[in-house]
Amino acid sequence: MKHNLRTTLLFSFLFFAVQLFAQNKEIKGTVTSSEDGIPLPGVNVLVQGTTNGTQTNFDGDYVINASTGDVLVFSYLGLTTKSVTIGDASVINMQLAEDAEQLGEVLVTALGIKKTRKSLTYAAQDIKADEISRVKQTNPISSLSGKIAGVAISRSASGTGGSVKVTLRGNTSFGNNQPLYVVDGVPLLNGGSGQPGSTFGDIAGGNRDGGDALSLINPDDVESLTVLKGASASALYGSAGLNGVIVITTKRGRAGAFKADVSSNIIVEDAAYFLDFNGAAQNNIDDFLSSGVTNINSISLSGGTDKAQTYFSYSNTFGSGILPNNDFKQHTFNIRETAQFFDGVLTANASVMASTQKIKNRPVSGLYFNPLVGLYAFESDTDSFSNYRDFEELDPARNIQAQRWFRGTSDIEQNPYWIVNRNVSTDTNKKLLANLNLNFKVNEWLSLQTRGTYDQSLLNYDKEVHATTEATLAPSNGRYIVNEQDLTQLYGDLIANINYNIKDNINLTANVGVSTTKNTAEFFTADSGTNGNLQFANVFSFQNFEGNPQVSFNQTSLRNRTNSIFASATIGFNDNIFVDLTARNDWTSTLPDSNNSFFYPSVGVTGIISELTDLGDKVSYAKVRASYGEVGNGFATDAINPNRSILFGGGGINPQNPLQPFPGTIPRPERQRSFEIGTEWKFFDNRLGIDIGYYRTSTIDQYYNFPASASILGESSFGLNSGDIVNSGFEGIITGTPIRNDDFTWNSAINFAANKNEVRRIYDGQVVEGLIEPSFFVLSGKGVNTFGSYLVEGGSFGDIYAQVVRRDANGTPIVDGGALLQDDTDLVDGLTKVGNANPDFTLGWNNSFSYKNLTLDFLIDGKFGGETLSLTEAIVEGFSNNTARETANGTVNVVDLGGVGSTLTAQEYYGLAGGRNGFSGEYVYSATNVRLAEMALGYKFKLPENSFFTSVRASLVGSNLFFFYKDAPHDPNVALSTGNALQGVDVLGLPSTRSTGLNIKITF
Amino acid sequence: MRNISKLIMYMAVIGLITNSCSEGLDINDNPRNITQDQLEVDFQHVGSLYKPIFESIYQYAPAWSYQLQQNLNADVYSGYLTNPRPFIAGANNTTYNLVSGWNNFIWSVPYTNVMNNVDAIGKATETDFPTLYATSLILKVSAMHRVADVFGPIVYTNFGDLANAGVYDSQQAAYNAFFADLDIAVANLMANIDSPRFAAFDQSYGGNYTNWVKLANSLRLRLAIRISKADPAKAKLEGEKALAQSLGVMTANTDGFFVNSALDHPLATIDNSWGDIRMNASMESILVGYGDGRTGTYFENSVATGDIKGVRGGLPLLPGYSDELAQKADYINYSTIGPSLKTSTVQLMTTAEVYFLRAEAALRGWTGAGDAQANYEQGIMTSFDQHGASGAAAYIADNTSTPNDYVDTFNPANNITALSTVTIAWNGGDTNEVKLEKIITQKWIAMFPEGQEAWSEFRRTGYPKIFPVVSNQSGGTIDTAIQIRRIPFVDSELSTNAPGVAGAVSLLGGSDDGGTRLWWDTGGPNF
Repeated sequence: MKHNLRTTLLFSFLFFAVQLFAQNKEIKGTVTSSEDGIPLPGVNVLVQGTTNGTQTNFDGDYVINASTGDVLVFSYLGLTTKSVTIGDASVINMQLAEDAEQLGEVLVTALGIKKTRKSLTYAAQDIKADEISRVKQTNPISSLSGKIAGVAISRSASGTGGSVKVTLRGNTSFGNNQPLYVVDGVPLLNGGSGQPGSTFGDIAGGNRDGGDALSLINPDDVESLTVLKGASASALYGSAGLNGVIVITTKRGRAGAFKADVSSNIIVEDAAYFLDFNGAAQNNIDDFLSSGVTNINSISLSGGTDKAQTYFSYSNTFGSGILPNNDFKQHTFNIRETAQFFDGVLTANASVMASTQKIKNRPVSGLYFNPLVGLYAFESDTDSFSNYRDFEELDPARNIQAQRWFRGTSDIEQNPYWIVNRNVSTDTNKKLLANLNLNFKVNEWLSLQTRGTYDQSLLNYDKEVHATTEATLAPSNGRYIVNEQDLTQLYGDLIANINYNIKDNINLTANVGVSTTKNTAEFFTADSGTNGNLQFANVFSFQNFEGNPQVSFNQTSLRNRTNSIFASATIGFNDNIFVDLTARNDWTSTLPDSNNSFFYPSVGVTGIISELTDLGDKVSYAKVRASYGEVGNGFATDAINPNRSILFGGGGINPQNPLQPFPGTIPRPERQRSFEIGTEWKFFDNRLGIDIGYYRTSTIDQYYNFPASASILGESSFGLNSGDIVNSGFEGIITGTPIRNDDFTWNSAINFAANKNEVRRIYDGQVVEGLIEPSFFVLSGKGVNTFGSYLVEGGSFGDIYAQVVRRDANGTPIVDGGALLQDDTDLVDGLTKVGNANPDFTLGWNNSFSYKNLTLDFLIDGKFGGETLSLTEAIVEGFSNNTARETANGTVNVVDLGGVGSTLTAQEYYGLAGGRNGFSGEYVYSATNVRLAEMALGYKFKLPENSFFTSVRASLVGSNLFFFYKDAPHDPNVALSTGNALQGVDVLGLPSTRSTGLNIKITF
Repeated sequence: MRNISKLIMYMAVIGLITNSCSEGLDINDNPRNITQDQLEVDFQHVGSLYKPIFESIYQYAPAWSYQLQQNLNADVYSGYLTNPRPFIAGANNTTYNLVSGWNNFIWSVPYTNVMNNVDAIGKATETDFPTLYATSLILKVSAMHRVADVFGPIVYTNFGDLANAGVYDSQQAAYNAFFADLDIAVANLMANIDSPRFAAFDQSYGGNYTNWVKLANSLRLRLAIRISKADPAKAKLEGEKALAQSLGVMTANTDGFFVNSALDHPLATIDNSWGDIRMNASMESILVGYGDGRTGTYFENSVATGDIKGVRGGLPLLPGYSDELAQKADYINYSTIGPSLKTSTVQLMTTAEVYFLRAEAALRGWTGAGDAQANYEQGIMTSFDQHGASGAAAYIADNTSTPNDYVDTFNPANNITALSTVTIAWNGGDTNEVKLEKIITQKWIAMFPEGQEAWSEFRRTGYPKIFPVVSNQSGGTIDTAIQIRRIPFVDSELSTNAPGVAGAVSLLGGSDDGGTRLWWDTGGPNF
């Protein structure tokens, strides 16, 4: 394989290297509108088949280096694209007409390849800078919510800087379901430092969100986000593209246009969506929580000459959360240089993006180290919560400041003020992304591009747990936890871009390339442990660790490499029928030599019906598309033949065998086959547009940890390729301009999606000696709790299982021996299916009004169907009588096993049903909700003609403003984890917030 | 100009080729872990596997895993200890609302931490290092008879055999296999009794094989006594074999089977740090009633009452408490485990127990057992000696003290009168039944805190007479007076090995619930 790659590369190099001769000259001109003759700024001028391009300045002027015989292509969103072949003249003026079809729009697709929207054979939707920064979120991906059909966005419950869970067209995999992020054509390293996985949360710091790489990107640097949903769209990414791709294009400098943008946002957040507490409890909560304030400031400078362009930006974010002592600080820098050398033969593009983030006390969910447990559970007739604002007092026996609380602390319950002040965690994250891109124009139809990226994330977590913290969490002298990760990705590729007119009416756009990706991950954790202890109280350093096996020091080093070769071709016939073919082969180091090569193909076709046949005046555009693709999911490092770990301090080897493939099987990457068809129509001079698609994806051969009886080989799970999960659904977009006149415009867009997920098989009948067919697969195990998520044949991804109360024929709960009994019919792992975390149908309605200088935008986001479980409520009712219904003097009728009825007070009943491991089935709610997700009222100030400023805009913005409908006691749009665990369940997640803010943007 | 551009292109392309191919696709391991080759140095590929076995029979860490493996079942059912906090609003194992999510650990820990390592040792040593193989077999029997004593049928002979994956043995077949494994172990050790081979890896006897043979013999005697009602002939055969073996059974306290580790005793964490376990009312009734000299070693005085005070087993969420924590806030003040037991040493089998086994063997007329009274009294003295307690002679002679009535100072509804009037002093004129009650009651005291063996012997003999649960939430499957007989097969096993469990239920000979008696628990008379 090495030999083949080298040969391919050398051959292509030699072939292209001879073609280094071209006549370059400077071409100038002005681009104007054919309607009114007004100069058009910002028109893209491109030498066809190259990336040699520029933009017109404010006066519509451009300058570009090109050769005689080159074709100059002029394009501008909403206008017809025109091209002209360069002859002897060195001045080329151009008039562009308004495009009736609005199809000149170019989308950035896989590997950074730009394609016209009309040639796409699959569904792709994009969102521009304006929409991303309108209601600014610290994580730019959050802005996609409700705006793109078939994209499910769940915000994290971990506050500012938290991760975002993105699911494109449903969950497909037992493993990773997050899409691949691609920044300027290069896959982004998006490894976070962990996601919550259990009800309790990690005993080493709680259920914490380690953040994701996206939260380290300045939203103001993003020019556009394009979502490629299907396998055929992402097939060029091979084993990384299984879950779809989100392509992020960042801003770059433009020739001639010197511009500075300054923006400042202030956002105030308030906890808004709570469980129905009784008055006393709610007062305590209001007393503890405060408004969170986030201030985002950014400045960007861009400009350049026709030879070199620069973009620079800096932003900072300072925030305080709704929990006391929760702070967030972030700085991002981005510099990008683009330069043309040798008369435009070589274009170099270099960028460096750096960011640092520091978060104090990032909120956790779950039970450990969570201040909300004590806050919600505080209940006393004689004592007041505010009395515990003084969270410590002198313990003379030890001469130490010891925690005080109204009752003994327990594994999950401590004084909330103690937690935020004496169990302080600090996340320090740094990201560096350096990019070099050289584009070498060989001739008019061929260019050669090479890219290299260095992408590093340093994620550091530090937790200082003071002495007298609850003993389950820390021993007598306190506890110190450090968790460091150094994740690096090196990426390099070489791509030949071909744009060739085979005949007058047949155009070929093709790319052939090779790439290599190397990932290294260094993990270090140190933890003085729940039993290991520190030598001296409250000194947080490694040298203060006791030396015993209950102290842990652990290093993990993982490396992997994927080499790839890929090709794609789009053949256009008459510019109205396009055939799209892609092929990719990956070789991965994570699989054995015999089995490490994988091929991923895709094929698609699209036709512009409105150009092929006359559809009448009312139809301005019509298109059909169909595509099929196969992609894979990457394979984890060190999964084939792992060795045992060693335990620090004389602990010997790990007692258990590491997870490994079932004996006698050879692992392979999982595969996804995806088919989609769609059609786009525009009517009434493009004032109404409809885009509807249907897709079906089947994910087979998943490599998952299938549960096995420990009595077979002493391991309770093994890796095995198996299973078949099918997602099918419709998605669509309706866009319209109901009103458009000189002063007033109303644009409206509705997007909707319905996804049906079916677990066809979890086991595919392969005969392997010793393998007993499992009846389900565990996504979140119940552990010592009473809910979980399992994949069962015939079920769906995200099914929620809970412990359900046994009822008589009339539905009356049965009580025996002073306790509720469990309904034990149709159990899976001892639990009953009570719902599914995923909505059946999602709807987003985005509206934009503009009246003179005033704009109003709002987004209504609806999710219909699905269920959610409030373990928060169960815990509050099990630990206290703090819910409103417990103190409302209600009653619940129950019967005994003999059918004799009696009545319990609501307090008694929910006391029996509640608790973290009680009858969780009593706490299931519909997840259906409709909310006013975003609203922005903007004003563009009128400036005098000679003003220093180009534009000044101010807007009032709000997000998550209110629910038109909601059944659940929490916000069902907030997820505890961006992984597969804990979906559809709220375990003391930070209450969802309503935010309002002011946004000022000045351009000069 | 063109030369420069050529040069750049050359560099870019060559750089890329070098980058993509110089380091190939052979990177896939975590070099921080230990490979098989590295383990073979100093024979650690065998030696390192003992540590997890030693530390998981009665699991050291994490403490919560031990809490589920044994503490919240056998340690409570034996009448030794109980939980001051009524977990899950009182609906848990201790009130017979059996929590499969907890009980999974009784099943999984011995398979994932003991059997896997025993199997690996066996493969590496069976032919080349027979004495190491022998010690692994003794440890295996020590771990797995406990599992069989909880569930009944278990996977034992078919472990690691893919052709018979997940197929259970009946409890009788498992016991027969235990005896057969002990046969191999004793024969292998006797053939090379002075070999120092095990010294570096032995966490109990410093590599002294004579002790290991004594342990094997003592373990055989324990298992023989256990099946004395279910299969009297086999019991007598195996028991007499143990007693007749040339090195004999444990006789001195230094012969006892204790595991030494650098880890904390899990009970220390559960009791001290978490306040999740306290003395059981049955223990208080007997220890205090007898004025037992070991009481102060075993337990501390209650901070609520100033004297030794246990908590009634099987408490629901009692009326008057708003939640679990409020109830715990009271009962956490009852007697905690004494400090001397909170060492890093886990006690798996005491020499005192062996004297009591011999006393019962004598009652059953087994050759080589010796005199019942002598063994009984030696057992008591050995236990007093083990704990450094004084007054053994007076204690042995005490023919008046009987277990106390129990008083709950927080909730008098839990008060209960003592269930037995048996005394301590041996009386040759007593019936065998009374003698057995005395032997088992004293053995029960001596084995503390090893609740697993105590619960097994309670079920086999009905002694000592332990208070019934306050709340029985078994839905009618467990009789409050007869008390719980076993733990049902766990959910993880039902879902991953349904055919195996179906076979196991038919071998069990009763319904898969907590009321079904195991094979050695015949329900018939003791004599």
